[in-house]
Amino acid sequence: MTIGKSLLLVGLLALAPVLVLSAPDPRLVLPEFTALSQKATESVVITLDPSLLSMAGRFLDGGDPKDAATLEVIKGLKGIYVRSYTFDQDAAYSQADLDAVRNQLSAPGWSRLVQTRSKKTHADVDIYIMVVDKSAVGLALIASEPREFTIVNIIGSIDLDKLRKLQGQFGVPKLDLDAAPSAAAGKTK
Amino acid sequence: MNEFDDKPSSGDEQLESQLRDALRAVAPSEAFSEALLARLASERTRRTGRYSGWWLPASLAAAVLVAVGAVEHLKAAHEREMGLEARREVIEALRVTNQKLDLAYQAVRTQSTSLSEGDPGA
Amino acid sequence: MGCRTATLPPPDASNEPAIIGMDEQLLQARAGVPQALAALVRAHQRSVYSLALRMLGTRDLAEDLTQEVFMEMTDNLTSMQSSEHLTFWLRRVTTHRAIDQLRRRARIEITSLDEETQHSGGQGTGGPAISAAEKLDPVWHRHLRLLLAELTPDARAVVLLRYQEDLDPMEIAHTLGMSINTVKSHLKRSLEFMRRRLNVAADTRREDHST
Repeated sequence: MTIGKSLLLVGLLALAPVLVLSAPDPRLVLPEFTALSQKATESVVITLDPSLLSMAGRFLDGGDPKDAATLEVIKGLKGIYVRSYTFDQDAAYSQADLDAVRNQLSAPGWSRLVQTRSKKTHADVDIYIMVVDKSAVGLALIASEPREFTIVNIIGSIDLDKLRKLQGQFGVPKLDLDAAPSAAAGKTK
Repeated sequence: MNEFDDKPSSGDEQLESQLRDALRAVAPSEAFSEALLARLASERTRRTGRYSGWWLPASLAAAVLVAVGAVEHLKAAHEREMGLEARREVIEALRVTNQKLDLAYQAVRTQSTSLSEGDPGA
Repeated sequence: MGCRTATLPPPDASNEPAIIGMDEQLLQARAGVPQALAALVRAHQRSVYSLALRMLGTRDLAEDLTQEVFMEMTDNLTSMQSSEHLTFWLRRVTTHRAIDQLRRRARIEITSLDEETQHSGGQGTGGPAISAAEKLDPVWHRHLRLLLAELTPDARAVVLLRYQEDLDPMEIAHTLGMSINTVKSHLKRSLEFMRRRLNVAADTRREDHST
């Protein structure tokens, strides 16, 4: 064996564990946010693993239009994780608190789909997607507002169009985004 | 007489009257009522059917049936409680996600409208 | 916190003993007569739904909770000793479940006037006629309901049981498992809060009308 081939073989062997383990994982490691949750006036912490999603699916009524639409959205999902905290004053949390999550989204596999910065609502929203073999396998959303931040991590293939069609059914007023922005603003509750 | 105030005022009485008017019970939609009744009827049929095949002689067997039925009932009730809770959590999670997606959509929409109108700021 | 069996309110001279005066519909529903169960649901759904709606703030959440409560009711019919017991049980479970949800969940979303009134007779679906007072001032009534949404869950439940369900403080205390002093305190503070905010709103409206 030539030296070149030996080096190549050594290199491949060294990389083998990395190659085997490098399949991207859409599941984020979400911090506990213990200190922030104690400061928060409201918090939403939801952890739905595959077994809980399956259980929820059994209690969604396929004969009810809303439940049926929800079933369609969660079909094929393997997890939904939400962390959302609201505070009673601005700047109660810092961007550094979210960095532990953002840093994971710079790992291979994640692509940023949308980055919005609104001067009007002072809300920053970043949406990331993980695609493997041309299929979406995960979604991550980080929304940062003056008194609230929200992290959503969805494992599996989520159809955003179907999710958007649930708008108006969950206590969120239906925003007519096809109308002019001023008309849409007037419809908020 | 206002039980929780030693000296009822006409202002309190007026407010209470307004509250009673404002808080008169409202009915759910007829569609919801019909769907609810249908669901209750089908749940009841399903639960009754589960036990309709049991048939054993002797009072001891009947006692075992009752005990097993009670345990099954408790298990089913517990499982339903968990399932309904999971369903609530799914709905809440999707609601929050939709709410934040709306923020992004609004921002994108505002920006694209501003650009089309030649407005530099948004 | 859901309760599988609820204790009866304390007996007093006006209560019939449980075995006498048992509601025929309840008996038939317990025996599995579907029409009787449907009649029970229709008789109580406005109360349950309205409590859920005004506690949780949106129609969808209210419908979810209403469905849960009635599903649990059908599981527990055999433990209902009278129609009064059933009414007490429904109020208790609805308010407790709503309070649980509010404590766990994020913000309450304030229902819009549209959500409240779309089923309140406008569609001819058997909802209550809008009162004469509300016809004169729907905005004012909406304002009252919005103020209700600003109360804490416990205070909101107390106010609803008092002014929607017309319970006295003792009955409210039993329904919610609170001391009567706590109930009275919630009522007093809630009325004071509402009165303060309504006075501010009234002053603002007078200024608007005069300009």
